[in-house]
Amino acid sequence: MSGTIPTIAEAARLIAAKRLSPVELTEACLERVHALDGQLHAFVHLTEERALADARAAEAAIMANGPKGPLHGIPIGLKDIVDTKGVPTTCQSKFLQDNIPDVDAACAEKLATAGTVLIGKTTTHEFADGGPSFDLPKPPARNPWNTEHFTAGSSSGTGAGVAAGLILGGIGTDTGGSIRGPAALCGIAGIKPTYGLVSRAGVAPAAYSLDHIGPMAWNAEDCALMLQALAGHDPRDPASASRPIPNYTAGLGGGVRGLRIGVVHHFHETDHKVSEGTQRGITAAITTFRDLGAEISEVQLSPLQDWLACGSLISITERAAAYEEWARTRLGDFSERLRSRLMLGAFVTGVDYVQAVRRRRELRAELQGAMRGLDVVLTATQPAEAAKIDSVPKWDLFAAPNFTMPFNVTGYPAISVCSGFGASGLPVAIQLVGKPFAEPTLLRVADAFEKATPFRDRRPPVVAA
Amino acid sequence: MPEMKDEAFEFLLARAGLNLTDEQKAELKTVFAGIAAMAERVRKPRGYMAEPALVYDFAEEDLA
Repeated sequence: MSGTIPTIAEAARLIAAKRLSPVELTEACLERVHALDGQLHAFVHLTEERALADARAAEAAIMANGPKGPLHGIPIGLKDIVDTKGVPTTCQSKFLQDNIPDVDAACAEKLATAGTVLIGKTTTHEFADGGPSFDLPKPPARNPWNTEHFTAGSSSGTGAGVAAGLILGGIGTDTGGSIRGPAALCGIAGIKPTYGLVSRAGVAPAAYSLDHIGPMAWNAEDCALMLQALAGHDPRDPASASRPIPNYTAGLGGGVRGLRIGVVHHFHETDHKVSEGTQRGITAAITTFRDLGAEISEVQLSPLQDWLACGSLISITERAAAYEEWARTRLGDFSERLRSRLMLGAFVTGVDYVQAVRRRRELRAELQGAMRGLDVVLTATQPAEAAKIDSVPKWDLFAAPNFTMPFNVTGYPAISVCSGFGASGLPVAIQLVGKPFAEPTLLRVADAFEKATPFRDRRPPVVAA
Repeated sequence: MPEMKDEAFEFLLARAGLNLTDEQKAELKTVFAGIAAMAERVRKPRGYMAEPALVYDFAEEDLA
């Protein structure tokens, strides 16, 4: 157990042994919500009555027939750009304050079918972009490790909620780092699966060809359990891959001996030099992997700035296209931050977009070549510990390249796991990247790292208080 | 870096159908250079046969 907050795997074992009731588990999460969410703002909408009813139904079913799987009776949150039947889905936007979908998004449906208990809809940046905004219907989420600090985004509420134990897992979406960024700054695990592995149907787009849906949870094992329920072909998503789904937990505990890990040193040491605390975490992680028997080598890729340029031009254009109608008619109803992002669409020409997509093919081929002979690539997730929430620059897009966009551009799976704490006590993280559809190996490596390090034993101080 | 002339700027905004305040226009002008730099960065001498990655699947060699 991690303090009094179990992981999904721990809770599942206790539930299966009938030593933990889904009702007690849900009530404990709701108690923490009531105690902490006034500070954290992890939720934009709570589904308390439904959660308790679902937990009671799960308890009755489990007592009668045993759990239908490891997620049965597990309290979760869904990012508020995920459609939920009969439950408000606002995308944290003035445009959708009255929106109550008739149908669940594919990921919501799959998690419900697996028996999860929905605690509520978690805070997001407006339509999953823009940054922490104070001119929206609900305030931005706060970092549980220090509420004066940012969570990163855009899956900010899921990150804060999991870290503080308001939920045991949740859904994030990732167009340029929106699962991995909050996972890093909130000290949890978050995996952006291979493009096409998890259906995007029923989730509001940020940029169609870069959008990914994935789990966020306390550790890699819990991400694996959630991914098992989420992965699979869906004809409603035009990018959905049709491939056999492996067992994502089977390899956990298998260690990393003999696996080959390539480190992209220039990403975090030259292209965008990370903080001392982040670098210390990366260096120690490399030592840990070497001590565990992995083979470590260096990988050279195009400068991080190339990946950001490619991804940003695509992202800006696809977002501007998705929200063009509202931008033309009701621009003032967007938050200042998203409005600014949408305005950038005016500057990207059709030819710029196609050149970016041509560059995308080259960059993908480059990563494919670099990963030949490797199992996993390692770099930073975030450049530093979380900044203060009121100091996040509006135009951070142009300030420095991020470490996550390369794997949205290529569609390769990537996970962020906690690699320690900086001088301020805030978490730092490493990012591990796998080959397409090789999530079992990626999760195995992440799990081995977490089990070899003590960082999963520590929850944010606000939880203990 | 190409300079953004006022006429071109107004044309692009009108073409995009965006109705901005003077303050928004002034701010947006300050970041045009950032977009132009990105657009320059994705241009490489690659010849006309180089295809975009508009639609792709993962080939077997990706997975090996």
